[in-house]
Amino acid sequence: MTDTHIAPEMWAPATRDGAAAEYIAAPSLTFWQDVRKRLWANKPAMLGLGFIILLVLAAIFGPLLSRHTYFEQNLKLSNIPPLFQTYEVTDGAGATTRFFFNSGNLNLYEVTPSGEVAGLLRATKKDLIKKQQQFKFGDREVVLDTARQQLSFADGAALAPSGWQWNMSHWLGTDQLGRDVLARQLYGARISLTVAFVATLVNFFIGVFYGGLAGYLGGKADTIMMRVVEVISTIPLTLYVILIMVVFNSGFLSVVLAIGSVYWVDMARIVRGQILTLKQQDYVAAARTMGASTPRILVRHLLPNSVGPILVTLTMLIPSAIFIESFMSFIGLGVTPPEASWGTLTSEAVETLRAYPYQLFFPAAAISLTMFAFNFLGDGLRDALDPRLRT
Amino acid sequence: MTAYVVQRMLLMLVTLFAIITLTFFLMHAVPGGPFTSEKILQPEIQAALNAKYHLDDPLWLQYLTYLKGVLSFDLGPSFKYAGMSVNQIIAEGLPVTMKTGALALICVVALGVPLGIVAALNRNRWPDTLVMVIATIGVAVPSYVIATVALYVFALRLGWVPTFGLDDWRGYFLPVFALSGFWISFIARLARSSLLETLQQDYMMTARAKGLRRGTVLFKHGLRNSLIPVVTVLGPVVANLLTGSFVIEQIFALPGIGRHFVLSITNRDYTAIMGITIFYAAVLMVMIFIVDMLYLVLDPRIKYRADAK
Amino acid sequence: MSAPLLSVTNLSTSFFTSRGEVQAVRGVSFELRAGEILGIVGESGSGKSITCMSIMGLLRSSGRVIDGTALFEGRDLITLDEDELSALRGNDISMIFQDPMTSLNPTLTVGEQVIETILRHRKVSRAEARARAIELFELVRIPSAAKRLRSYPHEFSGGMRQRVMIAIALACDPKLLIADEPTTALDVTIQRQILALLKELQGRLGMAVILITHDLGVIAETADRVLVMYGGMVMEEGPVRELFARPSHPYTRGLLASIPDLRDDTHHRLTPIPGSPPDMLRPPKGCPFAPRCPHAMAQCNAALPPLYDAGEGHRARCWLHHPEAPRVAGITAELVTA
Ligand SMILES: Nc1ncnc2c1ncn2[C@@H]1O[C@H](COP(=O)(O)OP(=O)(O)OP(=O)(O)O)[C@@H](O)[C@H]1O
Ligand code: SF4
Ligand SMILES: [Mg+2]
Repeated sequence: MTDTHIAPEMWAPATRDGAAAEYIAAPSLTFWQDVRKRLWANKPAMLGLGFIILLVLAAIFGPLLSRHTYFEQNLKLSNIPPLFQTYEVTDGAGATTRFFFNSGNLNLYEVTPSGEVAGLLRATKKDLIKKQQQFKFGDREVVLDTARQQLSFADGAALAPSGWQWNMSHWLGTDQLGRDVLARQLYGARISLTVAFVATLVNFFIGVFYGGLAGYLGGKADTIMMRVVEVISTIPLTLYVILIMVVFNSGFLSVVLAIGSVYWVDMARIVRGQILTLKQQDYVAAARTMGASTPRILVRHLLPNSVGPILVTLTMLIPSAIFIESFMSFIGLGVTPPEASWGTLTSEAVETLRAYPYQLFFPAAAISLTMFAFNFLGDGLRDALDPRLRT
Repeated sequence: MTAYVVQRMLLMLVTLFAIITLTFFLMHAVPGGPFTSEKILQPEIQAALNAKYHLDDPLWLQYLTYLKGVLSFDLGPSFKYAGMSVNQIIAEGLPVTMKTGALALICVVALGVPLGIVAALNRNRWPDTLVMVIATIGVAVPSYVIATVALYVFALRLGWVPTFGLDDWRGYFLPVFALSGFWISFIARLARSSLLETLQQDYMMTARAKGLRRGTVLFKHGLRNSLIPVVTVLGPVVANLLTGSFVIEQIFALPGIGRHFVLSITNRDYTAIMGITIFYAAVLMVMIFIVDMLYLVLDPRIKYRADAK
Repeated sequence: MSAPLLSVTNLSTSFFTSRGEVQAVRGVSFELRAGEILGIVGESGSGKSITCMSIMGLLRSSGRVIDGTALFEGRDLITLDEDELSALRGNDISMIFQDPMTSLNPTLTVGEQVIETILRHRKVSRAEARARAIELFELVRIPSAAKRLRSYPHEFSGGMRQRVMIAIALACDPKLLIADEPTTALDVTIQRQILALLKELQGRLGMAVILITHDLGVIAETADRVLVMYGGMVMEEGPVRELFARPSHPYTRGLLASIPDLRDDTHHRLTPIPGSPPDMLRPPKGCPFAPRCPHAMAQCNAALPPLYDAGEGHRARCWLHHPEAPRVAGITAELVTA
């Protein structure tokens, strides 16, 4: 072999550091650092988390800051949209009146220059046969043709809209009883989220207790307890939530109770599984022989190991609870009026769907976005915690 | 194998029994519900109930009487409508609920599974992204929102389909769509992830290493295995299609069992609530049993495990 | 000498992952003659499996052969399309995998898994394929073969499953059998049986075998030639006797150091050499073994050593074989005298 000449100093022993320097591996992270990093990198999950935080803040502080309460009714100002097209009429004396036409209930409402809704304008004459109403503004007269939904002056000249105006007194409009939609939305979020969080917590404790007990007792007791879980998990739980609601009557507490007492089987399974694997692990036996007490073992070893799956289950349980609550409210079994949740808000909006379809938008969007947020966060958490995906 | 069938059958019966018992005692706990003698009722109904359940008997005897009734497929008289039996109420609503439910179930399987397969086979390419975006929306947006929005857009605005009823065949579109939307999405996601996981299995590599053709590898070796998790959720799917019909039948004004159930709740027709609950549970148990048997056909390991026990 | 059955030249395979290019195989070359047994040893992650997967065209989607050829009976396997390759796989070239517990499809009978292979490559009826399957089960010594065809994999033990895998691999009389750690997942006694069976079948059927293993004892007993891989490269290759008698690479010496006597009854796993293998995302530009090599020199970190000829088909990739390099006893001392 014809070898090129190599400088003699190259045959000196290698300096280890130089060689080692080429192998600076990625800094090794602890499990939770790794999870956090992966979660941070997951944009949908972070968006979801951000949305949830904002939502919770809005649900807590929103009702406090709102000018309106969720129950205050004003039937004169019912079904006002959040955004309307205004008209302006100036009479002979130079006074200008701004108003808008609500095509859902065929009323005219006066609007202040700042965009607040001042009140209903009374028709001076109603002609039910010709389907016309007349309104007087000083010396000028405006005719509303309710059949064609057109406004014109008495001389027949069409009245042109002067522009769009956001409703400054009710930012999201009012519902069919004239209640402020924004206040009700915020209050609804509060109820829906409270129900979901509390019910999830109740499930969490029942599940941890039941699963923990089954796993801890083991043997026959475990077998029987898990058979019970198997039976429960084949029962359609929505039916049982409904039955419980029938027994305890509608209302906030019964919703929490109903949802909270029913969806704990997954949690119980997870906790039991974790306890069983733990019991088989050497270090637990070691800890026990070294005299560590059971609670101490549970806190030191069980928690860190099961936090992942439990967290994912909890994040997934919250949207289910929100959904079930809204489902119950939707069929009339949830919180009772005038209290509001996303379910009752949606079902109220459905009642007025034909005349005021936009009223469906806010509750539907609120619950859908919340479901998205929790789903994204839950998926992100699961991916971040999945050891198979670790690199 | 027989051990497995017997075991599943037993579980089914125990569950059904638990449901009947739980329902009975929950209803008994209702103040002013049936099975308590003090109440203000139409005399005919009071008489009918009394004749049927001997309301003066001790509770356990009433329970046994009720149980006997259920076992002979007699769910008793309605608590609200004189001369009506719960059986009649169910029979009236059954065709509607069955038709929409069966169509929805077909949609779930016939759309969800292929969508999941297409997504998995095109992982990280546009068909995958498209399916996943749709499926994510479908999983997150509640069925009653889908239903009302669809109702507004397609029935009220566009007028393509009737707003209520099933007299016109087009009337099926929206209820079936709203009922199955969530589960199509759910099954698509599940089928996707399950197929992706199956594709990673060693035996898929063996199948390729044997020189099998691409189609054989995918359909004979991949699909069957990846469908096992899909089959296991079909039980819950049926349960949810049933409960989902409560809102859907209400929104689209369909005279199905779900609507009757919600009506019974608002009317406090306790015997109807009980009867329909038990009926639902029975239907569900039968479905779960069918799914279990399907599972047995798909996965030979099951019978082995059950027999080994 | 006749043309080799398989001739691999400068094979390079990379995985393109989100973290970058993982260079799993870097310029591997070797030849295999008909009826020969080639052993491949090396630590985990050294690229043994990926080398074989590249040849079989079985890389997962993120992996790509970026360079090199693999001539099998004169045809370059690397450039064949999937149809041509799949006609070869399971037919002329077949493969056995490490874990018999997961390599068989759990939802199909083992008989079906053998029969479908035969039907894919041979124009025979189902009945004939079944008869052949029974024959194969008898060949690999599965008792009551005809009955066992109807069993599912979970009804077999690990050793029996590996026999099924071997039956599948032999279904179409392959010219080349690649066995990727066929015994690693099995109990020690079963390991011996399976290896004996493989060796016996190879003698009877005369196919060439590539045997990947961690177990140097297995290589010594079974193989004709050895390839020692490290960091995706061939570090040393040669005839078994020659290489075991005169290991010419510090890595091979490290591997052998743990085996006091090759005729010793107990099999030895590779005892770990201190340190860990290189990160194939950023392979070092010099000798990949340098960080762990007791003889590492400045030159080793500066440039990749070429494969030096050590005589009798024996080659080693180490700077110590450079004529100007310092002599190291046990590695290059014999070279001087040779
Ligand atoms: N799908 C993949 N994506 C990225 N890198 C991969 C992939 N598969 C293998 N590798 C890399 O290729 C290198 C070689 O892997 P290979 O499986 O050939 O090792 P091996 O020598 O067979 O090891 P073992 O003895 O553990 O089977 C490894 O460093 C591994 O990190
Ligand atoms: S080239 Fe240098 S570092 Fe590599 S094996 Fe030889 S002596 Fe060791
Ligand atoms: Mg390998």
